[in-house]
Amino acid sequence: MIMPELMIEAQDLRRNFSSKEAVAGISFTTRRGEIFGLLGPNGAGKTTTIRMLTGQIDPSSGSAVVAGCDVVKERTRLKERIGVVFEEQNLYERLSARLNLQFSCWLYGLPESRVDEVLDLVRLRDRAKDKVRTFSNGMRQRLMIARALLHCPPLLFLDEPSRGLDPISAREVRQTIKQLSDAGTTILLTTHLMDEADQLCQRVAFIVNGRLVANDTPRNLKLAHGQRALLVTLAGDPGSQNGNSALCEMTLSLDDPADQQRLATWMTQDKVRAIHSREATLEEVFIEVAGVRPA
Amino acid sequence: MHIRSILAIARKDALDILLNKATLTLLLTPIFLAVLFVVIGALLGSHTTNALVYNPGKSGVEQIINSAFSDIKITYANSPGNVAATFGPDGTHKNTSYALGLVVPADFDANLRAGGHPQLNLYVDGSQVGNVQSQLLLRALTDYARSVANPQPPASITVATVNPPSPANNDLQDIGQVYSTAILLSSFLVGTSLVPGLLAEEKEKKTLRMLMVSPASFSDVVAAKLLVGLVYQLLLAMVALGIKGGYTGEVPLVLLFVLLGSCFSVSLGLLIGSIFQTTTATGAFSGMISFIYILPIFFVGPFVQLLGSNPFTQLIKVLPTYYIADGAINAIQGQATFSATLLDVSVILASIVLLFLVAVWSLRRQAAVVSTI
Repeated sequence: MIMPELMIEAQDLRRNFSSKEAVAGISFTTRRGEIFGLLGPNGAGKTTTIRMLTGQIDPSSGSAVVAGCDVVKERTRLKERIGVVFEEQNLYERLSARLNLQFSCWLYGLPESRVDEVLDLVRLRDRAKDKVRTFSNGMRQRLMIARALLHCPPLLFLDEPSRGLDPISAREVRQTIKQLSDAGTTILLTTHLMDEADQLCQRVAFIVNGRLVANDTPRNLKLAHGQRALLVTLAGDPGSQNGNSALCEMTLSLDDPADQQRLATWMTQDKVRAIHSREATLEEVFIEVAGVRPA
Repeated sequence: MHIRSILAIARKDALDILLNKATLTLLLTPIFLAVLFVVIGALLGSHTTNALVYNPGKSGVEQIINSAFSDIKITYANSPGNVAATFGPDGTHKNTSYALGLVVPADFDANLRAGGHPQLNLYVDGSQVGNVQSQLLLRALTDYARSVANPQPPASITVATVNPPSPANNDLQDIGQVYSTAILLSSFLVGTSLVPGLLAEEKEKKTLRMLMVSPASFSDVVAAKLLVGLVYQLLLAMVALGIKGGYTGEVPLVLLFVLLGSCFSVSLGLLIGSIFQTTTATGAFSGMISFIYILPIFFVGPFVQLLGSNPFTQLIKVLPTYYIADGAINAIQGQATFSATLLDVSVILASIVLLFLVAVWSLRRQAAVVSTI
């Protein structure tokens, strides 16, 4: 199976639910092998976009080609080329981890030997015989990733993969995602966790009210939209007149003439002990670009 | 439709049903009821049936009487006259310790094989043996004769009934025949509860969304639920009926009504599953309509004579399950007539088709929005 260079090509995708426009004409592309993040607050249209791209619902207008398949006309072929990890943990809780995966093998007509391979990948082999209802949230999430990977899809959709996970479980899930990306799987991930996107994604797009408001690498977005700032460590409190000897830290904007003046003053007073550049966070960029908080 | 997907989902469901305490209890209920009826029947009706038999040629026909009663004591008579004198002529009232009498000619089997029409004389004490039981015995004797002389014409059998019961008493004596029908009808609750439960759980737990991005289509999911529901329903109905000893009378017809009832049950289940979205709602609704399987039992078989004709007995006939009960009990009692069976089968088939079409219409509407579930 030869995969195209562009794994997702969305063109002016729109989706209406009754009178509400959930997705209002978004266009983007995802290259083979990259982790692409679709970021936005709850209700921004991320999940609806994923549903359209995975063939679960038809777009009201626009078109999309995913893994070389038209999402409306070639739905059967599309389903064999994608893996989807849903926002909600939809596993068969009374069945064991192995049976959950065996069931997917039966559905896709795969040899059951694949079960052990994916269980190894998500580090759940030793819990294979245990019922899913005894699993922690993180283990369930990893099992859902394993299920989505059974048929070796070249493109994986992850909808809020760290939602509701404790920091350790979230870290384990992120490790698995990185591992998959290193192995060449293209990943489209939706999240409202900006740190997660910053750590994982090669490119991110911000979606607000069903519209894409930015689409670039996290680095470029930070450079283009983030505030240029310095973190200055000073000897003593700069506001104090009695010569307090404790150290304190101040953030100064390089674009603010007042801050520039203050820095020059402290330099001449020999108060500056250290200067560090301070990069904007993706969350700050999002707030500036979108005008809303991510969650 | 993809056979692979249907079989995969059915296989998963078949396993999941057994791992789910609620559905496992549902499955075991008809078996439990059948065993309960058998135990109660044994406790209440554990009396010995005395039979007086004249069978000098040791014909195998005697085995028919032996197998027709759970606890039978056979006494051998010296002559046919001895049996005739013990019972007396047909229709007379006479105190006798024997429930049955049978006179078998010495060369009965050989005469049958030679193409003759040997005479069997059956004597029945109507105060001890009910009309239906007597009819079933007569049928079994005829079948025996056919099995010996097939394709020759069977033996001629004359029946003399002493102490004939009043119609009401006779019907009450045959009430035991209703138990098998009751077990069969109550077992149909399984399909009606199981199929919607399976469908609703996929929606409720959001696993349906996972299936919708797999090679399975919504039709595959529905077909798999129907398949697994029908298989479990058929197995349970047949096992429960077997435990209660319901395979009497017209056995092929009994099996036909088991099949039709099972199809009706899962079709109704499919309709419920197409309407409700949660297991709680489907469970509650299935429980609420369980009366449609229970109520008709009191309006068929011996109860028909007891209740007579009144508006309620007519009203009950709007329920398709009445025709399942009527067809099944007639088949079990070996009293099915062609016209009655044709009416029962037609009504049940029409109901199945109607339920299925409405369910499919409802599910097609749902399929359009399935991903939003």
